[in-house]
Amino acid sequence: MDTQALQQDALDAIASATVLADLDEARVKYLGRKSELKLALREVRDRETGMALNAAREAIESAVAARQAELERAELDAKLSSERVDVTLPAELLGDVHPRPRGHLHPTTLIRRDVEDAFIGLGYEIRDDREVETLEYNFDKLAFPEWHPARSPRDTYFLDANRVLRTETSASQIHAMEERKPPIYMVSIGRVYRRDAITPTRFPIFHQFEGLAVDRHITMADLKGTLLHVMRALFGEERRVRFRTHYFPFTEPSMEPDVSCGVCGGEGCATCKWSGWIEIGGSGMVDPQVLANVGLDPDEWSGFAFGLGLERAAQLRYDIPIIRPFWENDLRFLRQF
Amino acid sequence: MKVPMSWLREYVRVGASAEEIADLLSVATAEVNGIERRGPSDTALFRVGVVLTADKHPNADRLQLCTVDVGEKQPAQIVCGAWNFGAGATVAVALPGATLPNGITLERRELRGQMSEGMILAEDEVGLGTDHEGIMVLADGTKPGTPLTEVLPLVEEILDVEPTGNRPDLFSVYGIAREVAAIFDGELVPLSEAKPPQAAEEQLDIRIDDFEGCPRYVGRLFRDVTIAPSPLWLQARLRDAGMRAISNVVDVTNYVMLAVGNPLHAFDYDTLEGGRIVVRRAKKKEQLRTLDGAMRELQPSDLVIADAKRSIALAAIMGGEETEVSERTTNVLLEAANFEPIGILRSSERLALRTEGSNRWEKGVDPYLAGPASTLATQLLVQLTGARWTGAADVHGDLPARRTIRLRPERTNEVLGLDVPAERQGAILARFGFDADGDGFRVPTWRARDVTREIDLVEEVARFELSEIPFTLPEKDVSFGSLTREQKLRRVVEDALVGCGYSEAYTPSFPVTADTVALRQAIVPSLIEAARLNASVDNSGIALFEVARVYLAEERRHVAGVVQGGIADARWAVDQIYAALKLEPSYAQATEPYLHPGKAARTAEGWVGELHPNELEGTWGAFELDLDALTASAPEALRAVDVSPFPEVRQDLAFVVDDEVPAAALAEAIVEAGGPEVRDVAVFDEYRGEQIGAGKRSVAFRVAFGSHERTLTDEDAAAIRSRIVAVLHDRYGAELRA
Repeated sequence: MDTQALQQDALDAIASATVLADLDEARVKYLGRKSELKLALREVRDRETGMALNAAREAIESAVAARQAELERAELDAKLSSERVDVTLPAELLGDVHPRPRGHLHPTTLIRRDVEDAFIGLGYEIRDDREVETLEYNFDKLAFPEWHPARSPRDTYFLDANRVLRTETSASQIHAMEERKPPIYMVSIGRVYRRDAITPTRFPIFHQFEGLAVDRHITMADLKGTLLHVMRALFGEERRVRFRTHYFPFTEPSMEPDVSCGVCGGEGCATCKWSGWIEIGGSGMVDPQVLANVGLDPDEWSGFAFGLGLERAAQLRYDIPIIRPFWENDLRFLRQF
Repeated sequence: MKVPMSWLREYVRVGASAEEIADLLSVATAEVNGIERRGPSDTALFRVGVVLTADKHPNADRLQLCTVDVGEKQPAQIVCGAWNFGAGATVAVALPGATLPNGITLERRELRGQMSEGMILAEDEVGLGTDHEGIMVLADGTKPGTPLTEVLPLVEEILDVEPTGNRPDLFSVYGIAREVAAIFDGELVPLSEAKPPQAAEEQLDIRIDDFEGCPRYVGRLFRDVTIAPSPLWLQARLRDAGMRAISNVVDVTNYVMLAVGNPLHAFDYDTLEGGRIVVRRAKKKEQLRTLDGAMRELQPSDLVIADAKRSIALAAIMGGEETEVSERTTNVLLEAANFEPIGILRSSERLALRTEGSNRWEKGVDPYLAGPASTLATQLLVQLTGARWTGAADVHGDLPARRTIRLRPERTNEVLGLDVPAERQGAILARFGFDADGDGFRVPTWRARDVTREIDLVEEVARFELSEIPFTLPEKDVSFGSLTREQKLRRVVEDALVGCGYSEAYTPSFPVTADTVALRQAIVPSLIEAARLNASVDNSGIALFEVARVYLAEERRHVAGVVQGGIADARWAVDQIYAALKLEPSYAQATEPYLHPGKAARTAEGWVGELHPNELEGTWGAFELDLDALTASAPEALRAVDVSPFPEVRQDLAFVVDDEVPAAALAEAIVEAGGPEVRDVAVFDEYRGEQIGAGKRSVAFRVAFGSHERTLTDEDAAAIRSRIVAVLHDRYGAELRA
């Protein structure tokens, strides 16, 4: 028996079947109990012939399955087409429009709007920039050193050699400063991406808001005051903010802001790991190198920048211990907001 | 970096408690994640004891019955299960009432008919190790009754410090001590430069072929090494710092790394071909079995340590198995080198091999550190292994000179927004190791990599003064404070959908569990997943929407929804979106990938319809619209039109037409034919039935006529109506129903 020819005949027959009945006929002919192939398989004595025959059998079986799905979909679609309605009719003539109680904005959006409002109150513009960034904007112009772990595909999603999913909204700083001369007062809000195992408390996608002020005579005191204002807008007037020294490639000096714990008021509790403070993001003075990278004279202009997570802020505001529900979209969660 | 407090206090004299140190380090240096405490919480009943008598327990063959002098009037009688000691041994004793780290409180109790008043301790019982082979035998000469804390590291407080990547100097106890000394103005104890006597002057054959990859190689030869376990204090420190104790030689290399931050390596000197060390790049196809047992394929970019014949270690990352120090080792070659960081990072990334050593090298280690590191290691090796130090070499190229950076004190104040007098700035910098030099400061060698510019000096002052900096707002004479049109309309759309009963979802931009990143081009598929999850937990009235980017040739913002019910529910929501944006949607019959082929419509900005039954069980509606296109089409300005004082005439007109003629086409023709007096056209009924005939249907419109000039008469209305009837008949063969 010529296995190859048999397989080709079978595949041709399967491809030319245009209704399920034809396909079934082909299936019986080539794969049925009395088919040439099955009979041959029963007679097999050596391994090589067996493997060849089985390969042919598998190829025919998968072709049948694929064609069957196609034909079923086509038959279903033909049936569905007969249920055609005139979609230009008003909604209420297309079927029942079910009355529904008011829906709910996602907690991330609620925080986003509060952030927007707080910064609009301070006279800042809101930016929503692209998420696919070039290495130039995501790293180089932000003065990321060559050794920085974020440059590694272990930490960052690379789309190709030159493009990544942005790892922080900081690329917006560069866009803002390239588009316009200072003064710049802006906050960029959007999705950022970092390779991370998915656990109840971690997800590789999250939202950041990142503020930037570039003007003459911007100081660290201005940064502290601005963040205090925003933290109070988000979490309540009684909150306090402290700063710890840190390191970020694109700011110098760099600091991490902590906000006083809202659960214990700063006395120390399980939520703040008994420190009275909760880590909330990163901040610092725009590194002179970053200013130089966009053609600004660091002796003339100075600026501050800070970035915080929307989900993190929502967790603190609404007492949500884990990240998972933010992306699960269970209405039992969403309907609480 | 785990920092045992007792070790830290060896290097810095400050009165501050561990908590105070943790608090200020967190603010000025690096975050302290916590303080771990090891050992019994109350050490009063842990004493040094001297065994007076030790005999077999009269009623138990495996037990000893001892009397132990614990500094009281009467010796204590203690039953013990270990036999590695006898009368005269100095031991560690816990007396009745003492609570062991495992929580058990000792009591006087009878063991096989003999009273036992306490416990002679093995190292695992006080958390000093894992050994339970026998009890700890202490060095002779300590007075019985001496508090055990004076002779054993019984308790420890351990800071868990998390240095940032730019501060390799903080990956050592001494580095942290330096910061503590600066912050608390305490005394930093200089590292001992005392070299033990060198017993011989053996020549070492060390060659660096690649000074770029290895600027410095200090080698030290030790003979007559006795490999043995390290003393308890050293084992305890390694363990407290998060490393395992292995044997004295290896432990010394790790101890010195933790102490000063320079990773070391020890070779079994007798296994080196030709007794030679060559630092070079790997040859093509060269292989090396590292001491974790894995065979590594090397590349010419990898830096290796080689002997006369072959590579023997992956430089800075891991030693080789064939030259590793073993129980049989008697001669040791100690390596205290310096390696360039980026190459080490690349090799360690490629080989997916990270070690305590590579973790430090890849951040950049001070090349001046190899000296003090080798000195400390030499002291310890001679002291702990009985070795003779017989050879030394220090091969290096030009080591970088200390750089002087200019600092304008007023610049510091401009950045900080705080007035820090120039003298105080100088004092702060001096405490961090920066020496005044003209109008600038000389950078200490251990900060050479991260302090290169004026702004870096400013940061040194800033981190010291962080809590002093006031809270102000920028003084600005511009404001950009308003949402853009796109941002306002996004809120409008979100709110419209919430009003329609939709709740907002956030779904991933790509399947995050997949290996490759396939960015989505539509939102509906992930909303279908979210709807499926909600259905699976029996949530009712499911209606979800999302506003997010999709990734086509360019990124576009889309708004999409999935709703339990059907096309009518989805259409209603889409109508409301358009209405909220002051737009008139125009729907056209369509086929769409996710939709039921007979119940799918397109608009200029997207699609809406019933989900294809293969997508999700049950009847669902769905829509996806290009939000950027919608907001671009939304009118920028509205102009009010006077309400006409003249009443409108309303008429119901029902037409019988072929099934295929869309209602929207008829409505459009009515407006066109009727002219400006047609104020409103709305379909209010669709009917099929025997009277109408097969393939046909009746579509009923409510039409309003009106004028701004006058009240329309019946004749006016009749004239408009007949124009409408004529056009619909001509264009679509529509017949007016009586």
